[in-house]
Amino acid sequence: MNISKNWLATYIDLAGLDTSEMADMLTFAGVEVEAMHERGVHSDQVVVAQVVQKTPVEGSDHLNVCMVDAGERSLRQIVCGAQNYKVGDKVPCALPGAVLPGGWQIKEGKMMGHASCGMLCSASELGLPDKEHGLWILSEQYEVGTPVRQFTPTDTLFELEITPNRPDLLSHWGMARELAGITGRSLKADPGDTPLQTEPAAENIRLSAPDICPLYTATRIRGVKIAPSPEWLAERLIAIGLRPINNVVDITNYCLFELGHPLHAFDAAHVQGPFNIRRAHHGERFTSLMDEQYELQECDLVISDTSDNALALAGIMGGKNSGVTEQTTEVILESAWFLPASVRHTSRRLGLGSDSSYRFERGASAWNVLRAASRAVQLILQCAGGEAEPTAVAGHAPCIVPEQQARQSTVLEQGSAAKVFCALPQVQLDWRDLDVMTHASIPHMEAARILRNLGLKEIAPGCWDTPPWRLDLKRSCDLLEEIVRVYGIGNIPSTRTAIYVPETPQDRAHDFRCQLTRHLAGAGFWEVQTFKLIADQSTDPMIACVQYALPIKPLQDGDLIRVALPLSEDHAVLRPSLSPGLLAVAARNLNQGMDVLRFFECGRVFRNTGGGKGKDIESEVLGILMAGKLSPAGWDSLTPPCVQPQHLTAVLANLLPKQRVSITPAKLSRPAAALCADIQVNGQTCGFLARVALSACRTLGLPQDCYYAELDLRKLQQLATTPFKVRELALYPASGRDATLELPIEVQHADVIKAVESAKQKLLESCRLKEIFRDPSGEKLSTDRKAMTYSFLYRNPSATLTAAEVDAAHGEMLQALASKLPGVKFR
Amino acid sequence: MMYTFFQHLSNMPQALSFGKCGKCYIVAELLVLACKTGCIYLTNRDVWYSFSASDMKEQIVRVKVAALAQIAAASCIKELECARIAILGKKGSLTQVQQGMKNVPAEQKPAIGALLNAARSSICAAMEARLLELQEQADASAVADVDITLPGGALPTGGVHPISLVREEAVRILRRMGFALADGPEIEDEWHCFDALNTPADHPARNEKDTFYFDSGKLLRTQTSTVQARVMEKQAPPVRIICPGSAFRRDAIDATHLSAFNQIEGLYVDREVGVGDLKGTLEYFLKALFGNDTAVRFRPHFFPFTEPSFEIDVLLQATGQRPRWIEIAGCGMVNPAVFENIDRQTGHSRYANCTGFAFGIGLERLAMIRWGIRDIRLLIENDVRFLAQFQ
Repeated sequence: MNISKNWLATYIDLAGLDTSEMADMLTFAGVEVEAMHERGVHSDQVVVAQVVQKTPVEGSDHLNVCMVDAGERSLRQIVCGAQNYKVGDKVPCALPGAVLPGGWQIKEGKMMGHASCGMLCSASELGLPDKEHGLWILSEQYEVGTPVRQFTPTDTLFELEITPNRPDLLSHWGMARELAGITGRSLKADPGDTPLQTEPAAENIRLSAPDICPLYTATRIRGVKIAPSPEWLAERLIAIGLRPINNVVDITNYCLFELGHPLHAFDAAHVQGPFNIRRAHHGERFTSLMDEQYELQECDLVISDTSDNALALAGIMGGKNSGVTEQTTEVILESAWFLPASVRHTSRRLGLGSDSSYRFERGASAWNVLRAASRAVQLILQCAGGEAEPTAVAGHAPCIVPEQQARQSTVLEQGSAAKVFCALPQVQLDWRDLDVMTHASIPHMEAARILRNLGLKEIAPGCWDTPPWRLDLKRSCDLLEEIVRVYGIGNIPSTRTAIYVPETPQDRAHDFRCQLTRHLAGAGFWEVQTFKLIADQSTDPMIACVQYALPIKPLQDGDLIRVALPLSEDHAVLRPSLSPGLLAVAARNLNQGMDVLRFFECGRVFRNTGGGKGKDIESEVLGILMAGKLSPAGWDSLTPPCVQPQHLTAVLANLLPKQRVSITPAKLSRPAAALCADIQVNGQTCGFLARVALSACRTLGLPQDCYYAELDLRKLQQLATTPFKVRELALYPASGRDATLELPIEVQHADVIKAVESAKQKLLESCRLKEIFRDPSGEKLSTDRKAMTYSFLYRNPSATLTAAEVDAAHGEMLQALASKLPGVKFR
Repeated sequence: MMYTFFQHLSNMPQALSFGKCGKCYIVAELLVLACKTGCIYLTNRDVWYSFSASDMKEQIVRVKVAALAQIAAASCIKELECARIAILGKKGSLTQVQQGMKNVPAEQKPAIGALLNAARSSICAAMEARLLELQEQADASAVADVDITLPGGALPTGGVHPISLVREEAVRILRRMGFALADGPEIEDEWHCFDALNTPADHPARNEKDTFYFDSGKLLRTQTSTVQARVMEKQAPPVRIICPGSAFRRDAIDATHLSAFNQIEGLYVDREVGVGDLKGTLEYFLKALFGNDTAVRFRPHFFPFTEPSFEIDVLLQATGQRPRWIEIAGCGMVNPAVFENIDRQTGHSRYANCTGFAFGIGLERLAMIRWGIRDIRLLIENDVRFLAQFQ
């Protein structure tokens, strides 16, 4: 909301406050100052000047070279493009060095070859309302050389952010009242405090939806003369960024920004018979005064008449044909109260907001209904003449006091023949609560004074009447907040207390994640953080797509969780795996010329069990992507090798140095993977290793050597952080035997290891792959076979093995291999 | 004398075996030395030999002189080893002279023996000294052509994401203050995200234009404050937890907004927790994070789940700029309505007489302020040119 300092100063004494002090004051009242704008001329370098000579510039259709008398010893030459002045006119002249609003500094310059030593100004260039097109022609009375600031108003505009709990601050009077309450500065006369003649509306207003509109008032004013607003009124509206329209419309706007209560003026000639405040018919059409069409629903509230046409959308906007125009002679002024939720709902649904709906949806005070009406009637009579009928009042102010309090509560009374009653909510406040909250650092007398300044009254010990404009004060904690806010948290001493807390599983998870992150960063991987919402499909390789998901458990129909209303199709599905994000990161960095693509991410993945009907599962996983070159090219290694699966396996094995990590062929295939394998740790599956489908790599522009592993972070944590005891060092020597197995090409290492394990040779300590030989030419070995040499290490922990024992054990091993591995030959 | 001469001659191939790896100038040098003794014989194979039948002593001196010359002439360790064999080996020149001891009369044996030993030890000493010298030379030449100033070879590099760095640091500081970690789901229900936290049913934040909903009616949590409700449901007071985690808002992504971002939430609930505790805690935290001289201010604000509520600003000075107050966190005293909601839900009245404070800090914002990051999108793009700056 915009607040003009000059306007504000009409309600509160702001003497001696500069704008930055004002800003601080607002800030510590809990009102955020988003921006401040200085209006008007602040510089002494803008003076009255008289045009003495005016010569058109050759070759230009609008420029003139002017000689002006700016009260200096000699005339000043200025090139000017405006058209609305003549020789002898007095105009504002900005001399070189002057700073105009917006920080624009005037310098000497040249235009089309003519020196220009200053600028002749329009009103808008000086931050003032533009009254004519072109230069601001000043009155004859001003002496040349007089600084313009001596006779032009200056103002400061504050752009404020008001929190939703404080609708009472959405007006100049409300803001003045708040600042007076906080600072103790004196408040001037209340503009809303004018007596108003009222009468029961009887048949003239029908409240057909009293749950949404329980109170409606209408004041008929005959014989008004619609004309432009008086200058003071227009200037105030312009100052806060509104465009004056005509006196009556301007007065309704003015009252909104003065007292905070929205009003609406109807042209009585377009209202047929009594008002009917009713719910809209389903599918009813409404054309707003901005000439936009809307289709209404039954939850919307409209103001209609006997014609049953919607004259206005209650609390939001007037209709096209019922507003006040220059032809209007009789107006009906509406001041009413509408249910916040209803106004908000309609306004949101239709995407139609206004200064009025903004206030109603945050909560207008019913106490303000007649105050705003009386102020508007007073101003209309003053500015547009005419004669006002007594205000017709229908319904009652909504009761905001709980039933059990209603009997003892203070009731405010407004109006004459028809009264509006506002019961004030009472709040109980126990000083002990204040002492707990502030460690008894605020004296109770001081706290009571703060509450009284804000308009509260202590009607019995510990029992406070809240003022009618403060709808947010409902409970004791609301009053405590007021006391702390006004007293200033800066004045409450800081304390440092802590308790012992037990370590939680989340603590351990965090520690593990930190450790893992550092480990992988040290191993030459970049940690990344990708978006959790990804696309179903995209042609942009840098957008993460579900189709490239490689989750630990393959996806099934309905596993994916989609947001109902995504911001864009690129962010529509919760990621079921980290692979889409990591592939997109690889694509992005490949574009930047990187050929070593090593990335990882720790984070949550999401899926639904049971095809969308089951529980939403969130699990923490680690994703590692390795693609392209194994290491960067350098002067010492011009062509580094490409990544192979064993490189990623080595990284995984390094994460769990104490565990037995093995890679076994996966039982289920995934469409996004060319090859897949399970990562088993001590025989337990805790992740998945894949070579990304070559077609996917082609589509994404990634290198063909692209490997991805995803591991369950909790299982990994459990395995990596299992406590261990140191093993005794072996006392007796081990003995090694090598065996070269000639195998069909399709037999995998995992098959050999499985066969080795199934032999259950007690003396075998380890079995390690030493070498693989293949001969593409087929000369030394047929191309469909390969030779794998393994080193077997045998050891008896309690004795030295004899050569014969080792040979026997190895012999058994080879026999076992021969029986388990079809087609094996020993070389 | 003739006998000794022939004896020597017969041993020549061994005695002169060093010549295989020797060089001509060695021969020349030895020639000069041998001339001084006056007894030189040259063979037609260009080798020399000396013989004196008169005396063992002369032989010893001659062999010693020749040996020392041979040692001095060795130009590499291998040559020196050859010389050792030629002198001290089984059939070495000194060994052979030593064999002449058996012909020495008994009365002269001690004197000749002493001479022989002296010759042997000076030969050994010379051998050792030369070996050391040659080893030093060899060591020096082994590294002589290594350019230690060459640029580094290529290793794959990696690093930790800046959000992880600030999260770890924030957690480290808060743990020092006795907070333990807690967590909750990111797919939340409305009760934990809004109702429990005193957000009215028609609050704008609950709109589907501001919050990501699922067809199931669940939603992506809009703040990590959901964890407050999750923890209090499960646990009796006192509660002192922090939760770093993701939150989601349906904001279009631009230089200052992400629709998914990271927060760290804090909650302390106990008997008689006051505003001073809130202030002390956050002042300590922010000073630990931004430096001890950091000015911190609390601005009154509004959140449905705290009352009073504050926004916290930190006074930051960028080089060449005026110091500016930068909003960094939201906080406040837990609204009693939150405690009532929790107690009503659990059916216990565990939180009835409690007070507490809560705070929430945006991690992206902390990172942006700390490292002067102008565009928040850099934090999700994962361009290595950006990430590499945090190594």
